[in-house]
Amino acid sequence: MSAQSHPEPTAGPSRRSMLRGAGAAGAVGIAAAVGVGAASGGAAAATRPAAGNRAAASAEHSADAAGGPLVVYLRDAASGEFDVFAGTSRATIVDPDLAARLTHAVR
Amino acid sequence: MSSHREAPEISKDPVADSTDVYAFVSPDQPDTVTLIANYIPLQGPAGGPNFYSFGDDVLYEIHIDNDGNGQDNITYAFHFQTKLRDPNTFLYNVGPILSLDSPNWNSRQFYNVTRIQHGKSTMIGENLPCPPCNIGPLSTPHYANLANEAVHEIADGIKVFAGQRAEGFYVDLGSIFDLANLRPFEELHAQYGMHVFSKPAAGVNATAQLNVHSIAMQIPTSELLRPGKHGESDAAAVIGVWTTASRQQVTLWDDWRGENISSGPFRQVSRLGNPLVNEVLIPLGSKDLWNSLPPADDKRFASYVAHPELAGLLPALYPGVFPHLEALVKAGTDRADLEAILLTGIPSGIVKGFQNYTGPVQADMLRLNTAIKPSKNPNALGVIGGDLAGFPNGRRVFDDVVTIELRAIAGVTVPLVDPAYKPDAAAGAVTDGLTAKSVAGGYLSHFPYLGVPHSGFSTPS
Repeated sequence: MSAQSHPEPTAGPSRRSMLRGAGAAGAVGIAAAVGVGAASGGAAAATRPAAGNRAAASAEHSADAAGGPLVVYLRDAASGEFDVFAGTSRATIVDPDLAARLTHAVR
Repeated sequence: MSSHREAPEISKDPVADSTDVYAFVSPDQPDTVTLIANYIPLQGPAGGPNFYSFGDDVLYEIHIDNDGNGQDNITYAFHFQTKLRDPNTFLYNVGPILSLDSPNWNSRQFYNVTRIQHGKSTMIGENLPCPPCNIGPLSTPHYANLANEAVHEIADGIKVFAGQRAEGFYVDLGSIFDLANLRPFEELHAQYGMHVFSKPAAGVNATAQLNVHSIAMQIPTSELLRPGKHGESDAAAVIGVWTTASRQQVTLWDDWRGENISSGPFRQVSRLGNPLVNEVLIPLGSKDLWNSLPPADDKRFASYVAHPELAGLLPALYPGVFPHLEALVKAGTDRADLEAILLTGIPSGIVKGFQNYTGPVQADMLRLNTAIKPSKNPNALGVIGGDLAGFPNGRRVFDDVVTIELRAIAGVTVPLVDPAYKPDAAAGAVTDGLTAKSVAGGYLSHFPYLGVPHSGFSTPS
């Protein structure tokens, strides 16, 4: 099943329920149907550069980023570095406060 | 083997597991090149009711490097989509499938083909149907004709096929993975003192009744080459070919929907150029990393090619059979012959009338000199058998790559770079005991060249 074929979820969890439901300390993953802007840190493009033709292939599939599910992965709780996945895109967000609240919530 | 289940991570992900790559000048259309990338290894033909299909969530690609830097200049990308006619039946088909649009066929798969070049993506084939799997005489009674319907002519003069085929790669997996036993020589194996074998035996083709899924393309040669002279001795006549499979970075079991969802950019999880490189040469701890990288990064793995573990094992497992190889290994000599065959191509002046050199960048690619015409009398041993149109000049479906690479590792190709080296007598004879005739159903003489898949009804018979 491709990401492009997913129907849009009819409802997403609230930020509070996300915090309650987050599963593990250290690295924390969250799936949600919320916008990237829900986190307050600055966003950067995917950190691993794509080479040559692959860059074009990635760009081809990035248009659906706004539609399907959004997945947030707290890669490094100490620095507050999150990867935010949506469609075929990834952004990096740094938000130590949110990271601290998440890790506190799942202890 | 050749790259079936070759690395720890990809062995758990069969739909993304590349098994073989073929690249050859089409014998019946010599102004074209045929490229085949196989996936989903070791398919039991009776594997229903959910018969095998490509991954809708996998990005499959065939890459062509035409300037020797180990990066792709042209990429063909394949995206698949499965469509169910009726989700309320457990059946793959509810009657005989007599055409690709048969109303009896429930679980169908379609695909798009995109050409990516100069940073631009162009859809060259859209919503193309795959054939069904070969189920049996009631479900797929005229399978060969049905599969022929799935050969599509698309843009740029390209033919394409994506679907099930009979496995054309032959190998005695059972003996080779039993501590490098080779049945034709098993009485010579050290056998760890157990004295299990006392006489030679015939090889057993472990893939003889198995199927695979193929993505095959037949492309006008001129579409693939960089500008320049394209004669046999010209660098611009040579292309490097490999395949990759990629998955989105995140897969999450969505218990609201009862299915996996994927998100994020595609990242490479499988790669294949030359047969057996990741399988036999790259050590376990590096195989997953190797699968994630482009050929341009292969310099970091070059020591495993220059000093193959198997070259050290052969003299130990077959005492007294490979004394010259043993001395070569003990001397720590770099295997420049293997580095040329697998990582740079063979320069002019090494094999008379032949070159497939792409330059000094060490990259595992299947290198094809497109100016060398198809052989009228092919030898499955390829270049070491005197047939310049076979492996390692690309790879044809029937090439005996196991024997070729066994002999190369055993030292038969060392004189290409060191004329003073005398290979052991056994090096030119070593084999797993199989030939192209070990593929019971044979091959096709036309596109897509790999044979009609074994049917679930009759296999095993």
